[in-house]
Amino acid sequence: MAALQDILQEFHRIAASPQEQMKHYLAQNKKIVVCSPVYTPEEVIHSMGLLPFGTWGTDMEIKEAKAYFPAFICSVMQSILELGIKGAFDGASAIVIPSLCDSLKCLGQNWKYAVPGIEFVPMTYPQNRNTTYGKEFTKAGYQRVIADLERITGETFEDEKLHKSIEIYNAHNQAMREFSEYAKNYSVITAADRNAVFKSAFFLEKSEHTALINQLLEALKETELADVKKIRIVTSGILADAKELLAILNDNNIQVVADDIAQESRQYRVDCPIAATALDRLAEKFATMNNCSVLYDVNKGRASYLTELVQENKADGIIYALTKFCDPEEFDYVVVKKICEEKEIPLLLIEVDRQMVNYEQVRTAVQTFSEMLG
Amino acid sequence: MYTLGIDIGSTTSKCVLLEDGNKIIATSLVVAGIGTNGGIKCMNEVLENAKVKREEIAYIIATGYGRKNFSEANGELSELSCHAKGVHFADPEVRTIIDIGGQDAKVIRLNSKGILENFLMNDKCAAGTGRFLDVMATILQVPIAEFETQARSTKEPAKISSTCTVFAESEVISQLANGSKVECVIAGICNSVASRVAGLAKRVGVKEEVFMSGGVARNGGVRDALERELQVSIKYSEHSQLMGALGAALFAYEKIGAAE
Ligand code: SF4
Repeated sequence: MAALQDILQEFHRIAASPQEQMKHYLAQNKKIVVCSPVYTPEEVIHSMGLLPFGTWGTDMEIKEAKAYFPAFICSVMQSILELGIKGAFDGASAIVIPSLCDSLKCLGQNWKYAVPGIEFVPMTYPQNRNTTYGKEFTKAGYQRVIADLERITGETFEDEKLHKSIEIYNAHNQAMREFSEYAKNYSVITAADRNAVFKSAFFLEKSEHTALINQLLEALKETELADVKKIRIVTSGILADAKELLAILNDNNIQVVADDIAQESRQYRVDCPIAATALDRLAEKFATMNNCSVLYDVNKGRASYLTELVQENKADGIIYALTKFCDPEEFDYVVVKKICEEKEIPLLLIEVDRQMVNYEQVRTAVQTFSEMLG
Repeated sequence: MYTLGIDIGSTTSKCVLLEDGNKIIATSLVVAGIGTNGGIKCMNEVLENAKVKREEIAYIIATGYGRKNFSEANGELSELSCHAKGVHFADPEVRTIIDIGGQDAKVIRLNSKGILENFLMNDKCAAGTGRFLDVMATILQVPIAEFETQARSTKEPAKISSTCTVFAESEVISQLANGSKVECVIAGICNSVASRVAGLAKRVGVKEEVFMSGGVARNGGVRDALERELQVSIKYSEHSQLMGALGAALFAYEKIGAAE
C-alpha cells in the first residue's frame, strides 16, 4: 500500500511542478518544445531529439495577457499566454500551437508579439481529416512544423526515427488506457490522483511516464479491491483539473470511472496505425481521431460516444465540465444534453474557469447531483 | 421525537422543528445568514417558541450556503435536495420548483415521489436573483415590499435588460432620467428577473404544477411576470422561505429511521 501511495505521490509532485520539470530537462541539455492544447504532433518533436512539453495553462489570476485578449475568451489559452509572458517557459526553444479552435488561432498570433523570445510554430490542421486530401493537408502541416523546428533548433528529422517515437507514444497510449480501466474500480484512486496521473504525462518524456504508469499498475494489481459504494461518474470537457473541483468530487463520494476530457483520455484513445511512412502513420491517426469538440464532425458522434461510456462503465451519470467561453464545448453541450435526456442519463453541467476562486456553487451543484444519484 | 432542519442562507436563517416526521411544531426566521450567529439565534428561537430543549432533538440537518459551518448539526445536505423534500411534503402535486434566493436562482424538477429528477442553478451573476432586486430598490429608494403593489399598478412596464445587473442599473437610471414612472420601471425590473429565471426553467423543462420559493417568491410582481413568461400558474405559500428547513427536518427524521 505504501508503495502505491508513494507512486501516486510522485505523479502529484510532477503534475504540480512543471517548472521544476523544465529545469530538470534543461539541466540535461535537452531542447524543449512547448506543446499547446489540444493536439500537437508530439511524436514528430520527440523523434527529432527534442522534448515535447505540454501545457494547458494553470489556475491563476490573468493580468498581462489581458492586454492581448478580449474579456470573454477562454482562460485556458489566456493563462498559457500569461505564463509565457511571465517567463514560465523561458529556456524553451519554441512553442507549437495548433489551429484547432478560434481562440487557439488568436493565441498563436498574439504569442509572436507577447513572447518574442520563444518562437511560435503553427500546426495547421484540416477540417475534413479523413479524406486523401485531408491527410495530405495534415502532412503538410507536420512538414511545416518540421521545417520550422529544424531551422530553430538545428536538429533534423528522419522518418525512421519517427517510427521509433511512434512506438513509444503508442505504448504510452496503451498504458494510459489501461490505467483508466484499472483506476475506475479502485476507490483508493481519488479524482485528484487520477488527474495527477494524466496531467503529469505532459511534463515527462513519454517513455519515462510509461515506466511510472507500469509501476503504478503493478502496485494496483497487488492492492485489494475495497468494497465501497461510490457514485460512478463519467467526466467530460476540456479539462477538470482544478484542485477545488477534484476535492469536491471526492467529498461527495464520486468515483471517476471514465472520462471524455481533452486533457485526459481524449489524448490517448487512438494509436498510430501501420502506413507507408511514419508521417503517414501520424496523419492516419489524426484522421481517425474523433469524439472531440475541436475535431470537426457533422454527426456530433461525441454525444452517443458519451452515452456508450456511461453504459460500458456502469456509470450513474455524467458531469460536463464546461470551460467558460469555450465555444466548441458549448456547441457540443446541446447535443449531449439532448441525447442524455432521451436515454435518461443524469447529466450535470458545471462551469469551470482557470480564474475561478469561489467553488461554492459548484460544490452545491455536485453535492445535489450526488444526493440525487446516491 | 423531534428533528430539526436549519437552512442558513446568504441573508437569512430559517428553522423548522418537526415532531415524528410529520408535525411542524415551530418555525423561526432571523435576518442574519452565513458568517453571522444567525444560525444559533434561529435555533434558539425555534426551541424557545416550542418550549423544547436542545437535548430533546434527536437529529439536526443543516442546509443552505452556511450548511458546512453549523457545528450543532449532525449532518448536512444541499439546499436543492431539502427544498424538493420540503415542497413535496407541503404540496405533493408540485413537479417544478423555482427558487429565487438572495444570491442565486435554482430550478428543481421532482417526480411524483418528491425525488429530485433534475435541477439547474444560475451562473455566477446577480441578474435574476434577489441581489438584483436589492440593488434596484436602493437606486429607486423604494422598499422591496412595495414592488408588488407598484408593479401591479401599471400596464406599461419599462424595458430593462436581463443580462447584467450593472448594465441594468444604468438602464434604470436613464429610464428615470427620461421621465419613466417609477412603477413602470419597477414592473420592468420584475419582468427582467422573471425573464432571466424563465430561461433557466425552460432549460430544465417546466412541468406543472409549479411552485415558487425563496425570498423573492414573496414579491408578487416577479410571480406575476413569471406566470406570463412561462404561461403557467404559479403556486406560492406564505411559508415558502421555510421549505428548505422543512425538507432538512424531514431528512433528519429519515436518518433516524434508517439508523434504527
Ligand atoms: S478551452 Fe476551448 S476555446 Fe479554449 S483553447 Fe481549448 S478548445 Fe479552444
